[in-house]
Amino acid sequence: MASTGSSSSAAPEAAASADVVVGLITCGDAETIGAVTAAVNEGLECCFQGLATRIALVDAGAADGMASQVRPLVAGNSQLIELTPASAAADRLEVPYHGVPGKARALHMMLSAARDLNVRACVILDAAVRTVTPQWIEWLGRPIVDSGVDLVSPFFQRGPYEGALTRGIVYPVVRALYGVRLRQPLAAEFACSARLLDRVLEDDIWDRDGAQTGIDLWLATSAATADLHLAEAALGVRTHRARGENALDLPSTITQIVGSLFADLEVRAEQWQRTRRSVPLPQFGASASPAPAPGSRIEPERLIDSFRLGYRELHDIWTWVLPPRTIIDLRRLADATPAQFRFEDELWARIVYDFALAHRLRTLARDHLLQSIVPLYLGWLASFILQVRDLSAEAVDLRVEELATVFEAQKPYLIANWRWPEQRRT
Amino acid sequence: MVEQIDHALRLAGTRIVDSIANFLPGALVFIVLLFASLVAAVGVHYLLLRALKGLDFDRRAELLGISVGSWTPTRSASAFIASLAYWTVLALGLLLGLTALDAALPSRFATSVLEYVPHLIAALLIIVIGGIVARFLARAVLIGAVNMGIRSARLFSLAVKWMVIIISSAMALDHIGIGRTVLLLAFAILFGGIVFAVALAVGLGARDAVSRALEQQLREPPREDRVDHV
Repeated sequence: MASTGSSSSAAPEAAASADVVVGLITCGDAETIGAVTAAVNEGLECCFQGLATRIALVDAGAADGMASQVRPLVAGNSQLIELTPASAAADRLEVPYHGVPGKARALHMMLSAARDLNVRACVILDAAVRTVTPQWIEWLGRPIVDSGVDLVSPFFQRGPYEGALTRGIVYPVVRALYGVRLRQPLAAEFACSARLLDRVLEDDIWDRDGAQTGIDLWLATSAATADLHLAEAALGVRTHRARGENALDLPSTITQIVGSLFADLEVRAEQWQRTRRSVPLPQFGASASPAPAPGSRIEPERLIDSFRLGYRELHDIWTWVLPPRTIIDLRRLADATPAQFRFEDELWARIVYDFALAHRLRTLARDHLLQSIVPLYLGWLASFILQVRDLSAEAVDLRVEELATVFEAQKPYLIANWRWPEQRRT
Repeated sequence: MVEQIDHALRLAGTRIVDSIANFLPGALVFIVLLFASLVAAVGVHYLLLRALKGLDFDRRAELLGISVGSWTPTRSASAFIASLAYWTVLALGLLLGLTALDAALPSRFATSVLEYVPHLIAALLIIVIGGIVARFLARAVLIGAVNMGIRSARLFSLAVKWMVIIISSAMALDHIGIGRTVLLLAFAILFGGIVFAVALAVGLGARDAVSRALEQQLREPPREDRVDHV
């Protein structure tokens, strides 16, 4: 992808090379950008003494005054690099789930600038996050500089019901297919090495359809499918400023995230079919801290009702995607009382894989296909909540690991149907 | 007298023989054309059926909403299309044959029917495209309504489907010039009536429900209902 837009550096000659760059992606984050910059500056000062450091600011929202707000806060050894990506007309039409229109362009510009500076480590942060601490810079950047790691992905402590889409679909699929146990592959924060910069900037992820929404995930899978060292850093709790007046609705969020995941499976089919088993990743960062209390109250009964409504009205559509025995299992589930309601892990894994196959075979219009998974997801979520609501944070994580193991066990089912789709209905 | 009768009979005989001699080549051409069209129809039927089966047309057609099983004895879209092509080729051959007979009435009939064929094909296309659009929109509405938690999702979906089918059928009939005025009037009355009935029903019967729904839609969901799925 060509780097579009203008780039203005505070002192281009002086900034010709650097060891560590921290990139901040902002989109109208005037409320939080000051605190984030201060934390980054402090982190660079105390953790990377003796190294040439830079802070790069990419303003995807092209808001006036963002750089002027940041400039006075950048002190000491660091210099500020200001980048402004060009906006595209399509950005105004699509609201991405992460709230940053044109994020792929912004990220590409940021990573290209980092490569031009011959950095050893590039740390990317979302400027909307309220809980950034100086330690985040250390935990994300240090493994790259000291331990030869190529990608450090964050792991945030979350409430038991938070991130269910990541826990129930994205993490198990990425783990089973790409063989890496990246628990939060959709995270906007990460750190990467010079080798990974070369790899991702040469990858075709930037020009694919849906790149502006799927780029965070595709960066992670691009790293996972290369011969690189990956690691996770526990960063504690992440809270962020809501972008826009209303959050994206669930069907649109699922369409974007699951659609990006399935699109990536199609592109990397050869690679994931060769991957046999997953490997645990080295862990860095904070020691385990108590998980946040549930910030939201969800009634599983309401979710079960949504699942039942979905089964009643959409099972004709599902018969195009799912084999008869799965439909029978779903009928049993729809008839179950809330006390007996339990979405078996094998059933859920097969459903996700069948939808991935249908996405590849274009069994239905892709938007219809992805939106029709919503009642199934709500049914799974209800079952998950019923199982984990009385468990500790560690036990919830263990439950997610169990689910991911089942996804790995069911992988041959996906491979067989992917290779011989004509056998699917027999 | 006998001579006159004999002359008249000879004249009549000659006329009959002349007529038969004039008619025979045309009839021969008619038979040849009919036979050729039969061969062409069988060929088209066979080739079309094989091509459509090879393209897995039945499955694709059903996905697009072209379901012929309920209203034809063939039970498959590809067999239906092949049969349609077979009878069309045969009918065209028959009409061409009629023009070869050089009889004034059948020729005029054949010419007018042949002139009508493009309109018929266009009308058929309108109906097929209308059916596909109807099915697509009905599915979109059904999924969207289910995801919004609307209990009568199927009712909305069916309403959209039949509205598009009725509109496309009316367009097709209008295209082939059948009942233009009646159609226009019927549509005006039907849609006017539906809109009026819905307005009355919503305004009088479901005013509270609508205001509650709008209020719910516009109001931000309570904090405890919000969950970050990502």
